[in-house]
Amino acid sequence: MQISMLAPEIEIALLGLLLLVLGLLLPHKGRGIMGTVTFLGLVIALLLSAAGFGQEEALFNGVYQADSYGSFFKLLFILAGLLVVLSGSAYIQRLGRRANEFYSFLVFALLGMVVMAAAGELITLYIGLELMTISFYILTAYLLNNELSVEAGLKYLILGAISSAVLLFGISLVYAVSGTTVISEIAGHMQFQPAMVAGIILMIAGFAFKLSLVPFHMWAPDIYQGAPIPVTAFLAVGSKAAAFAAFVRVFMLALPLPQFEWGLVLAVLAACTIILGNLVALVQTDIKRLLAYSSIAQAGYILVGMVAGNEYGLKGVLFYAMLYVFSNLGAFAVATAVEVETGSTSIEAFKALGKRSPMLAAIMTVCLLSLAGIPPLAGFVGKFYLFSGAIGAGYLWLAFVGLLMSMVSVYYYLMVAKAMYIGTNDDMTPIKPDTSTRVALWICLAATVLIGVYPAPLSALAQTAIQLF
Amino acid sequence: MLSDYSTIGIFLMLTLAFPLAAMGMAWAVRPKPKCKPDDEKLLPYECGVDTIGRTWSRFKVNYFLYALVFLAFDVETIFLFPWAVKFSQLGLFAFVEMLLFIGILLIGLWYAWKEGALEWH
Repeated sequence: MQISMLAPEIEIALLGLLLLVLGLLLPHKGRGIMGTVTFLGLVIALLLSAAGFGQEEALFNGVYQADSYGSFFKLLFILAGLLVVLSGSAYIQRLGRRANEFYSFLVFALLGMVVMAAAGELITLYIGLELMTISFYILTAYLLNNELSVEAGLKYLILGAISSAVLLFGISLVYAVSGTTVISEIAGHMQFQPAMVAGIILMIAGFAFKLSLVPFHMWAPDIYQGAPIPVTAFLAVGSKAAAFAAFVRVFMLALPLPQFEWGLVLAVLAACTIILGNLVALVQTDIKRLLAYSSIAQAGYILVGMVAGNEYGLKGVLFYAMLYVFSNLGAFAVATAVEVETGSTSIEAFKALGKRSPMLAAIMTVCLLSLAGIPPLAGFVGKFYLFSGAIGAGYLWLAFVGLLMSMVSVYYYLMVAKAMYIGTNDDMTPIKPDTSTRVALWICLAATVLIGVYPAPLSALAQTAIQLF
Repeated sequence: MLSDYSTIGIFLMLTLAFPLAAMGMAWAVRPKPKCKPDDEKLLPYECGVDTIGRTWSRFKVNYFLYALVFLAFDVETIFLFPWAVKFSQLGLFAFVEMLLFIGILLIGLWYAWKEGALEWH
């Protein structure tokens, strides 16, 4: 075992502590560099994880896994963190003297996600999960003077605690039956008995809450709406991907299909999630709520890949999670820029954005169309993998539901585009986002188009990562 | 297997029976009132100070800050104790590990201190 295999984790933990200390040491004026320090720290973490990609080793007797699967998600989380920091810096600056803790919590949430994706053991996974969610509770309630934000924070705290308890209870039942918490060893000690089934169902419920799958989705819209918008972006992308990373690892490795047919349970959950998420999104008038329901539906699509459980499906899960980072964060970056400028998150504020800032409007349209799955953008390729995986595994009806609801989703995504290009606005002053936001937007745009046109490299990367299963 | 659960069953029955027996005994030996007890008699506390206001009053946030700092260091001692007992076998690596752990906690204390969590305003 080498400590160097944990380099990205150690670097991220040190970065979080450094940011906390810097906030204490720096005089008020010097705090402008916090964003830069976070950015540089995350770039180093990105390079370290990229360098570690392809290593396969179990650390601490299997408690922690340094494998390609974990590395893939590490890259994903760090990229998401980088984009959030870049696109949110203007917003975070407005928080004033509490901005430094904001960066620190963002980094600790990122560390929690990384631990979740790489945990080879259920308790370690749970610690990563708690580190992530506790950071998010605080971040959600960060706008102390905003009633919506505080309410969202409190709601998230209470519901999050309950769901964590449910997950932990499931873990304890699985441990009681199998006698081990190491994920790769559970399958060998599996006994099919009621306590095991109860444990698996409770774990599904716990994860489904974190993934905001229907019927465990009630918290998501309120919290996405109330939280500061960079937090919403990170919550929608990072937290969801982390939960998927852990969910897939636990269920594919520890609880293989023939023992208990959880595939069908998940298939029903996925179908409900896709249908309800898309239908409710149709009537939203607030961009944060619209993106919240859209992200509920997106989680349903990703779950389809996991239900399939074959090579195509699992590859689709990883592939889609990665492109979702770029497409969704692109949309959120535009929403952040618009909120910083207009102070509003309603879709009304997007009216005539095509004239006020053609670049923002164009990137928003591309990202939303990618989420809808229109070729040649990235979302199309991702959905192609997911649904062909489902068809291959015999879930034709599920693929059909997904395709049908994707068509429905085009409507509400295009409603935003309609507001941007056809709507008229009294205020026609051009919106000029700052440089870092522009960089984030260009990265999102480039990645969304490039992955769609030339998916081979990402596909190969995902292929390497799923060798584990 | 069954005998394991029967222990729990016996405990359950005992825990149910004990308060019932205690209350039943009190009911059997107490003096029986001739008329209905008045409102004063039926108060939860017959003696002492009457309660004032609602129980859902606000507490000063400093209580929670103290509690959090206390909790962090309380948990730290739980880790320190087995480490101290086995210290001579563990060697230098564990020593450095514990220094790191305490260092991280001290940063937390420093942060709490500097942000005024330890001051009672």
